[in-house]
Amino acid sequence: MTRAQMRKTEGRVALTLSTLAAALGLFWLVFILGDVLVHGIKALNLSLFINDPVPPGVEGGGLRNAFIGQLIITLCATLIGVPVGVLGGTFLAEYARGRKIARIISILSDIMVSVPSIVIGTFIYAILVKPVGHFNGWAGAVALAIIMIPVVLRTTEDMLSLVSWTLREAAFALGAPYYKVILQVVYRGAATGILTGILLSIARVAGETAPLLFTAFNNSFFTLDMSQPMSSLTVTIFQYAMGPYENWHAQAWAAAFVITIFVLILTILGRLIIKWRYR
Amino acid sequence: MEVQIVVGTVEIEVRDLDFYYAGAIHALKKINLAVYKNAVTALIGPSGCGKTTLLRCFNRLHDLYPKNRYEGEILFKDENILSNGTDLIDLRSRVGMVFQKPTPFPMSIFDNIAYGLKLKGIKKRSDLSEKVERALRHAAVWDETKDKLNSSAYDLSGGQQQRLVIARALAVNPEVLLFDEPTSALDPISAAKIEELAETLKKEVTIIIVTHNLQQAARISDFTAFMYLGELVEFGDTDSIFVNPQNKLTEEYITGRFG
Repeated sequence: MTRAQMRKTEGRVALTLSTLAAALGLFWLVFILGDVLVHGIKALNLSLFINDPVPPGVEGGGLRNAFIGQLIITLCATLIGVPVGVLGGTFLAEYARGRKIARIISILSDIMVSVPSIVIGTFIYAILVKPVGHFNGWAGAVALAIIMIPVVLRTTEDMLSLVSWTLREAAFALGAPYYKVILQVVYRGAATGILTGILLSIARVAGETAPLLFTAFNNSFFTLDMSQPMSSLTVTIFQYAMGPYENWHAQAWAAAFVITIFVLILTILGRLIIKWRYR
Repeated sequence: MEVQIVVGTVEIEVRDLDFYYAGAIHALKKINLAVYKNAVTALIGPSGCGKTTLLRCFNRLHDLYPKNRYEGEILFKDENILSNGTDLIDLRSRVGMVFQKPTPFPMSIFDNIAYGLKLKGIKKRSDLSEKVERALRHAAVWDETKDKLNSSAYDLSGGQQQRLVIARALAVNPEVLLFDEPTSALDPISAAKIEELAETLKKEVTIIIVTHNLQQAARISDFTAFMYLGELVEFGDTDSIFVNPQNKLTEEYITGRFG
């Protein structure tokens, strides 16, 4: 074989292997998504959203408690996690820029991003569930917030760092104090990036189950009281999918469908914002 | 340094100014310079000679970075602006700056101009509108922007953006304007407009301009300071500097033998 033929063969081998790898990954992805969509749509009905669960064996009922619980927990997690994350990222990118402490916090939060979420769940269990004596919604929200914080913090830091220094200097040169430079100029420049990070971090925690099992746990009854155990879609899916009843399985499929669509929408929204910003 | 006799009111007087970056790099050495009111003073010299460093002393932009240190005095209206008690926010609203690359803020054209006004506490919409229009007219960019005041400042061309930021600086009625190579990122026509503007503006403000373009310095400035390796080599009225330089280094630089 000549060198040219060799190169061509090598090229074909590499192409085949990487195409196969991509196809293998995509196959499972499409399989899972397709399964969720097909089974989910079949199980979807209005009763699911407006009724609470009924005892096993009884037909009908819904997951209103889980939908509302999921919304409340995610919303509270966002309200706690986003301000802390954004302000922390601002500290790193602005006030502590170039200082050793910024490097250290950055690295620590990178580690935090990859800490298994079950570890965070058990940690919150120890400090917010054990002392109270029972599972509660607040603990779930805090656990999810802690998962969000490092994601939002690092995105904010990166996005603020992308805003050019000359822009800040121009604002300073007009006589603006630092906090106004950050609030009115730098945040505006980084707004879409930070917003995308926030959306993606919400999408990330919306699918978490482990930390909620240890904190908010589950509740078969509808509640808005966050000091009580609270139901969520992910924990409900876990419980119902494991259960022995046909209609539990159907509802678990429907819940999986709804949460997948929710995460999908958030992710697409995030992408759209990026595209719109850098068009 | 050669001193030539010039007439006019001194707006800023630099006395024995030394400047150190990050506590170590000695970037300006014993600078003595008078900046005359309602005139254009050009700072020229090869790259790295300290022109921009000197310019950024006038609004103390160096204070943004840790460990930078000044020694000596800069008297602005008989007040040493290098003293610790100087209110930097006040100083920077009196000494405006225009950078090499246009620096519009990520907001509308109107909000860009209104930014400095709002910092000064002007909030009434009618006041803002009036002052924004005046500033844009002043910087000769009103005709191009009047129909799209609410669109993003990024939609303007580079030359328009540069005039926009000049308008932004003018809106707060500064006494001094600092230009840091304001035309080096622009096409020749836009550059000519900025030069023209500088000449009109000097009726109201004192202008200090850093430029690499010697023709530009000769065209628009009344006084020229030639700097080399952190020192002020020669200062005088522009005609004398260009026609009859006293120092050999100055002569070599303006005749293009180095730099």
